[in-house]
Amino acid sequence: MDEFQSGEETSFVVEEVSNIMKEAIESAIGGNAYQHSKVNQWTTSVVEQTLSQLTKLGKPFKYIVTCVIMQKNGAGLHTASSCFWDNTSDGNCTVRWENKTMYCIVSAFGLAI
Amino acid sequence: IPRATRLRAGSLSTHRRSHSVDNPPRPLMRLKSIEEGKPPSLHSRRSSVMSITNAPFTSRRNSVSMAMGGRRLSIGPWMHSGRVSFSGLPLFQPIRETQYENTYKTRPDEGCKFNACRAQQALESTLTSYLGDAKYNPVTSGQLAQSLSELIRSRLKDLTPPRYKLVCNVFLGQQGQQSLQVASRCLWDPENDSVASATFVNASLFAVATVHGLYFE
Repeated sequence: MDEFQSGEETSFVVEEVSNIMKEAIESAIGGNAYQHSKVNQWTTSVVEQTLSQLTKLGKPFKYIVTCVIMQKNGAGLHTASSCFWDNTSDGNCTVRWENKTMYCIVSAFGLAI
Repeated sequence: IPRATRLRAGSLSTHRRSHSVDNPPRPLMRLKSIEEGKPPSLHSRRSSVMSITNAPFTSRRNSVSMAMGGRRLSIGPWMHSGRVSFSGLPLFQPIRETQYENTYKTRPDEGCKFNACRAQQALESTLTSYLGDAKYNPVTSGQLAQSLSELIRSRLKDLTPPRYKLVCNVFLGQQGQQSLQVASRCLWDPENDSVASATFVNASLFAVATVHGLYFE
């Protein structure tokens, strides 16, 4: 396990992951208005795209990607997460995105193996 | 000679003191000797460690001393301080972190996997008990979500087997006429890792809680 650390960057780089997520959101739901029939498909594609891009980074991590899409109707939403992990090697990143009709919150957690 | 290298390595002054002035570190050495049943003195301690082979704890230390005998000149201060205190804790070097060796364990033991069913039941019961009558309040619900997430994590920690990392998410929102979709996907080991989720709804709020359990190799 020690050999990994001497080579490439093997910690969770928040900026890189955040960019990946923003791109995935833009491409999946970029200019669309909320449509109940399509939400399922949108969440799936955001999550899948993010996950495949993260996998391409090739780091020794297990990933969890969560996406919440909510219609804008005046209601409030709070999200919280707590994790039992190793603070030195693991990390997470959350991106909030909105347009006129909906909110989208995507979180990615990376846990070192 | 080995003592000299040990001094150079770093668990220094206490060793020196232990030899010249017997009293202060004596309690430590006595603890060690209680285990081995031998009088506390450096030379005899070493020989007693070498001779006892049956008790598992002392045989482990035996291998440590053997390793040290083999690598006498290498500087591994954490091992030396392991010799000072019988329990292996670096008492005299409190800043140094313990180095864990690789256990080469790639999967959990039999019957020790993350139990998604039990986790889901625990989630449901926690949500109902904590949120039973709660009303959505834009000011306090943020705190509510956070404390709920921590509560879930601590409850789940008691249920999960060792070597599992947990990620708990809580989504708490006002019950309006809107719709909400939560999706999650993971890159994990499907044999050992799992996820559990539960939903709670009352008149003024809804809550979705998910827990992922990932095996740490």
